[in-house]
Amino acid sequence: MPEADGREHASPAVADAVIEERSRLSIVWVIPIVAVLVGTWLAYRAFTERGPLVTITFESAAGLEAGKTKVKYKDVEIGAVEQIDLSADLSGVVVQARLGREATRYLTENTRFWVVRAQVSAGRVSGLSTLFSGAYIGIDPSTEGRPQRHFQGLPVAPVVTSDVPGRLFTLRAKAGGSLEVGSPVYYRSADVGDVVASELDESGNHVTVKVFLRAPHDQRVRKNTRFWNVSGIDLRLSPEGLELDTVSLTSLLIGGAAFDTPKDQDPGGPVEEGAVFELYPNRRAMLQPKLTVKRPFLLHFEGSVGGLVDGAPVEFRGIQVGEVRNVRLEFDADTNKLRIPVLIELQPERIALNSGGAVVSIGMDEVRRNWDDLVARGMRAQLQSGNLLTGQLAIGLDFHPDAPPAKINWDAPIPELPTIPSPIEELKTGLSQFVKRLSEVPLEQVGNNLNKTLEQLERTLASANALIAPDSEAGSELRRLLRDLADAAQSIRLLADHLEQHPEDLIRGKGAE
Amino acid sequence: MSEPEKALAARSLASCHDCALVVRLPAGRAHVAARCPRCGAKVHRRKVDSLARTWALVITAAMLYVPANIYPVMTVTSLGKSQSDTIMSGAIYLLQHGMWPLALVVFVASVLVPLLKLAALSGLLISVQRGSSWRPRDRTRLYRITEVVGPWSMVDIYVVTILMALVSLGQLASIEAGLGAVFFAGVVILTLLAAESFDPRLIWDRAEASHARS
Ligand SMILES: [Zn+2]
Repeated sequence: MPEADGREHASPAVADAVIEERSRLSIVWVIPIVAVLVGTWLAYRAFTERGPLVTITFESAAGLEAGKTKVKYKDVEIGAVEQIDLSADLSGVVVQARLGREATRYLTENTRFWVVRAQVSAGRVSGLSTLFSGAYIGIDPSTEGRPQRHFQGLPVAPVVTSDVPGRLFTLRAKAGGSLEVGSPVYYRSADVGDVVASELDESGNHVTVKVFLRAPHDQRVRKNTRFWNVSGIDLRLSPEGLELDTVSLTSLLIGGAAFDTPKDQDPGGPVEEGAVFELYPNRRAMLQPKLTVKRPFLLHFEGSVGGLVDGAPVEFRGIQVGEVRNVRLEFDADTNKLRIPVLIELQPERIALNSGGAVVSIGMDEVRRNWDDLVARGMRAQLQSGNLLTGQLAIGLDFHPDAPPAKINWDAPIPELPTIPSPIEELKTGLSQFVKRLSEVPLEQVGNNLNKTLEQLERTLASANALIAPDSEAGSELRRLLRDLADAAQSIRLLADHLEQHPEDLIRGKGAE
Repeated sequence: MSEPEKALAARSLASCHDCALVVRLPAGRAHVAARCPRCGAKVHRRKVDSLARTWALVITAAMLYVPANIYPVMTVTSLGKSQSDTIMSGAIYLLQHGMWPLALVVFVASVLVPLLKLAALSGLLISVQRGSSWRPRDRTRLYRITEVVGPWSMVDIYVVTILMALVSLGQLASIEAGLGAVFFAGVVILTLLAAESFDPRLIWDRAEASHARS
């Protein structure tokens, strides 16, 4: 711009600035105003959205930290612990937690709080995430009941929370087995519930177990449903072989209960919540019909009863009619003999009458008469091999018409049923007798005799041999004899020829020609 | 021309920022904007509204300083266990674990420096507004130090952002920036802008004016 340059150079006078009016207030003040507004709004929101403060009393504050520990429901954070103090009497800790505003209406007297910590017990691992994240407070909210702000925390997480539909039932057992709170309840090996309580009842005779069955499985419990304990392994050697009965590995470790309705039974109608059932010690006990009538008999067997155990079946032609109760060794002081009486129990309820029903409701006299009759017809007890593999024995009842006659002694404390040796036993006896006889045979003498006979035979043969040797005297004589015989034959032939030509010589004699 | 007149004349002159033309500004008139007669760019002798802008930014920064120290700056989640720390609690944590040099760095860079910056800027603003002629040289040096030191407060924010990007292994280990970091970044940026918008020449204007009057 030469013109401009020229002007600047020509005149040292300075150009005047162009003047504009400008607003008096700087726009920059908007920044603090906005900051103030945003801050106020945040503070207002934080204040109005502040939820209720609850105080929960726990036994211990292990794992809890003020300002850090959260309150969670279904793993959703709904609040945080603000403060932890010791209770006035030092018996526990009082935790103050601020919950979200939406939690207000769930804080009632039925609401429960507990601390979720990592818990590794046999078979059940829970709260593993808390190993890393730290413990948190769990809540089981309930809208029922009076509103409340002070709570007594549970020592452990409740097994059943109110958000799980289902029903409670009561089981009564002679022994609790290894059922604990939290042990599962199975229906056909599916985990459908939990044990929520297990305690000895007042009398001390029974254990009352409360189980919670989740819907819809609670509907499977009917009047005739039977519960049994599935704790541990039920492994036993029986005449049927090795029996292993376990529902799951979990039940192996922490026990459990199972329920079902026996197949041959009508399931019955539905039951109310809280109905009481008997808890059978195991599945076998559950499956067995309820047997109340037991008729004991004593058996005496010759020989070994090794392999006969308590509980071994007593069978009539393969059908179980009773059980072996006791096998023991007994010393009879009178006869100075050792005996092995086997106590069996016959269960007449197992036998159905063709008229229906079972052999139960008959008098003792009739029972005796019946048994006497049976024994007279040859009914005998016999040891049988129940299982060849395991060597387990069973007791068989059957008719042996050719057995020696016997009778039941009803006067003894326990009547004694006559027995006969088992087939195995007979075989054993026969075999041992055979072996014994065999051992009686004078094998050495027989051998010696045989030796002598053979020597004589040898001698005879040797002399015979010497007799016919070619250079022996007898030999040459024999040859001469043979020669003479040949000569004789020659003469006879000549004679025959001559007679053929001159038959008249037979009458006239040989004439001179 | 007497010396004060010369000074006055010199004060009413300004060079255009765009074309370097020296223009005469009208003296003694507030709330006017001057434009270069040659290129039309805005011409001003001192930073426009320097005091008001600096004040606004300093006040905003001071307001943000409160939540910056209340809210956690960083949430470290390690093996599922998360820990949130404010600036102060972080420094205290470091101190408690014997890392006092690091604690000192954090404390100085993140707590002391922003606070001192705010104090220094406020002091300068007040001194300028009151027309103080007290040690203008030292006050100018204070301003220079404030300007130089300012960006170093961002170290914290950088550390948090870099850690966030580096450590994100989900539940195993992750670092997240907290709300405090946002506020803190706001404090640092606003103090930087405030230092930028302050015109240190104002210190000398007053000193000159008082000198001229005497
Ligand atoms: Zn210009």
